Amino acid sequence: MMDETTPFEFRQCVSIHKSTGKKAANLRELRDVIAEASEESIVHHNYQYFQKGRMREYTNDFAEWVGESLGEKALAEHLSNIDPYDFKEIGALRNEMLGVLDDYIVRVPDPKGAMPGDEFYFNETVTLIFPVGLRARNLAEFFAAIKYIEEDCIYYHFYEARIRLGRGNDDFSRWFEDTLGEKDLAGKIRAIDPLMYTVEQSRNFIAGLVEETVRRDMEVVK
Amino acid sequence: MIMLDRYSGIAPKGDLVLLRRLGEKLSGKRFLHVNSTRAGGGVAEILQRMIPILLELGLDARWEVIGGDERFFEITKKFHNAIQGTIEEITPEMQQYHHEVNRVNAGTLDLDADAVLIHDPQPIPLIEYRKTGKWIWRCHIDMSNPYPAVWDYLRQYCEKYDASVFSVAKFAQTMPIDEFIITPSIDPISDKNRDLTADEIRETVERLQIPTDRPIVLQVSRFDTFKDPIGVIKAYRMAKKYNDCILILAGSPATDDPEGEKVLRQVQEYAVDDPDIRILLLPPFSDKDINALQRVATVVIQKSLKEGFGLTVSETMWKGKPVIGGATGGIPLQITHGVTGFLVHSVEGAAFRIRQLLNNPEMALRMGKNAREYVRKNFLITRQIRDYLSVWYFMENKGRSVLEI
Repeated sequence: MMDETTPFEFRQCVSIHKSTGKKAANLRELRDVIAEASEESIVHHNYQYFQKGRMREYTNDFAEWVGESLGEKALAEHLSNIDPYDFKEIGALRNEMLGVLDDYIVRVPDPKGAMPGDEFYFNETVTLIFPVGLRARNLAEFFAAIKYIEEDCIYYHFYEARIRLGRGNDDFSRWFEDTLGEKDLAGKIRAIDPLMYTVEQSRNFIAGLVEETVRRDMEVVK
Repeated sequence: MIMLDRYSGIAPKGDLVLLRRLGEKLSGKRFLHVNSTRAGGGVAEILQRMIPILLELGLDARWEVIGGDERFFEITKKFHNAIQGTIEEITPEMQQYHHEVNRVNAGTLDLDADAVLIHDPQPIPLIEYRKTGKWIWRCHIDMSNPYPAVWDYLRQYCEKYDASVFSVAKFAQTMPIDEFIITPSIDPISDKNRDLTADEIRETVERLQIPTDRPIVLQVSRFDTFKDPIGVIKAYRMAKKYNDCILILAGSPATDDPEGEKVLRQVQEYAVDDPDIRILLLPPFSDKDINALQRVATVVIQKSLKEGFGLTVSETMWKGKPVIGGATGGIPLQITHGVTGFLVHSVEGAAFRIRQLLNNPEMALRMGKNAREYVRKNFLITRQIRDYLSVWYFMENKGRSVLEI
């Protein structure tokens, strides 16, 4: 008999980039533009970093530019170590980044600039959210779906959800716990640190944990 | 949905789902594209493919082309070069003529639509003759460092649009209108990119008399100094000292590019002593031949010095081949250095990477596989149409940065 539970409806988000017309050619300019950039721009360059689907070394656009284009590896590491999900307000995240940059500029007062054409360009996004036409009514269906849904779909439920739901929360674990009563599985999913993985790697972890639970539930003899 | 169905299993499913939803929302609305040539170059090519898809999605899509004489296209070519940073002498008379030709075109073209996408600088003054709808200026050119005198002139038109679209963030300028970033795309089911049979490839190779006894190095592009065909020959000559190979430079003329013939002659003169350099001037719509050449080539290069986007890079990557590309314009967006191809900054760099790919076929295969998947996710026509319609949808819902559809 089919569970009469609320199905999980898979959704996806698509972001179109918008230029702010602002750019930075060195650390001081980066600091000054971050100080006055729109919240949308701060969100884009931090939280949406993982939506771009490339395997990268850092955890946000600022760190990547500082490390790759300016060659300031220590500062890039420091910026990468900022967890954007630690902050309830974008202003607080902005201040944390400014603090790190100010501290570095005091210690290294004359860092080199970027090559012409390799400046940091500040963007924002507009985002469309839509259902992909796929529902899971139980864990087995969820397992089948998670294997082949688009990366953007996983991004929406596992990364973007943290902006909507707060630190440590994502749509998957919430459904597992609240709807299916799978508290252990939800806890394991929440323990995955999304900043440490690409979206594709996160998919594999989630699929693995769900499969483990489905197998356990299927076993008649424990 | 016969045509869109052909993209199922090729394009990302989410793009197709969203396209259909946007099609429902914008159904019956009039979507006009205007550019300055029906044939030659990436813009005309993508419009030929895009209009039928837009029609199938339920939009009333049209494509108009402005006319102009030789003088007009000489002037707009100067604009084109100046936008890409070359110092050009632009006189007030030239600007007046540019405007005047557009005024005449505005009298004959039907510019009445719900959304109008004006492509590149040639038709940009048409904004002065807008009737209704949202007007968007779509710039396909590398505007990272425009010659100020020309940009000041074009800006006065650009700022009258409701929004602009650039291919790469670094091309956007500081303006009081929305500036969206939308990369161009390739059509995976067009003759240029679809799978070819061995017989089809053989037919092209035999007809164009391409020797297949040695590895082939290929560049496909217009004969334009910004594509650096002379630099490609130099790189090939350096590589040839180590690995015997032949070079093919293949391009089609474009009706809006009067400099093409001059550059072609320079290239022919530079290559005259070497029978292993084949210069192919292919007629417009030689898509299947270009497809076959990209598939038969061992190494494909796009050594541009300036580039709007460089779609030939994605075309080649779609065929599972890594590309050696100049690190300019939109090429670094397509090539992840060392993963989906190589970015180069000099003739020497190009020569070195040619040798590397010629000597490491397994590495080329691995990078080529990454390249095809990267194009599938990011540079197919379904994604570009999705983005255009999304921008239009956001303009209809001005002021909101997140929309559920």
